[in-house]
Amino acid sequence: MTDTIFQASDLANKRTELLSAARSGLARLRDKDGTSLVMLPESKLRLLEVLSEWSRALLRLEALISRDVTPSISDLGELAWLRVFGAEDLQEFMSDLQASLVAAHADGDVATLDECLHAWRTTARQLEDPLRRSVLLGRHEPADFVEASRPEHE
Amino acid sequence: MSESAYDPLQPAKRPGGKPDEQPKYRVLVHKRFRRLYEELAPRTGLQQAQQFWDHVAHDPGSPAPVASTCILKGTAGRPKGPGWSRTVHYEVTGAARIDYQFCDEYQTSTDGDLHPVVAILTINYSSH
Repeated sequence: MTDTIFQASDLANKRTELLSAARSGLARLRDKDGTSLVMLPESKLRLLEVLSEWSRALLRLEALISRDVTPSISDLGELAWLRVFGAEDLQEFMSDLQASLVAAHADGDVATLDECLHAWRTTARQLEDPLRRSVLLGRHEPADFVEASRPEHE
Repeated sequence: MSESAYDPLQPAKRPGGKPDEQPKYRVLVHKRFRRLYEELAPRTGLQQAQQFWDHVAHDPGSPAPVASTCILKGTAGRPKGPGWSRTVHYEVTGAARIDYQFCDEYQTSTDGDLHPVVAILTINYSSH
């Protein structure tokens, strides 16, 4: 946390210094009524928001799973897209999410977390359809497959 | 009057022509998705369909140059058996989604030849 605390009047008098401090990570500003305000890069704010949102989601999911009962759609709430997964996959999701949160915090970047969530959401959508689900989760039987030739015309 | 080589009713050749190399992988599709596979070129366009086939037939394990791919998570992403890859999810510009696994040493029977194959597991055309 920076030691410099700008005053409301510095918005006019020390604009360059204030913006420079904000670009560097964080600028603190004391309003006339004593309220402490901060200015920071939007990417940093997004990182903090995303880390907070998914840390809460992880804690909530851990609490639901610890009940040893399959969570209902209403239990899952905004995580209802996870309903297609069984207990083993949910454990794997939580483990992946935890690792991605640690990586995002360490990197100061949500890219790893976004990638992890994208892959899990994509998987969930593929499993929504019963036929796709049965093939993706089923055993491989050579007799189930036929030659797929190169498309040569529309 | 000289005859022009241009024929407006003749479709343009595929950009780049046919691939020079023989396909490395034999490409298979699950019977339940054969009909959807036949719709690939009409739905996505011939060029996109051929780009998909060329990609999986030559280098299914590398990132696709013209499509977005990811590996499915959890049980759906696990290899179907020893030697199989994880499940690759290939997205043709939002128009089609294809899941496949590949195996470098596939054997249909115990005394059969070992050969590389790609198994297309699922195809869908709904947008996410």
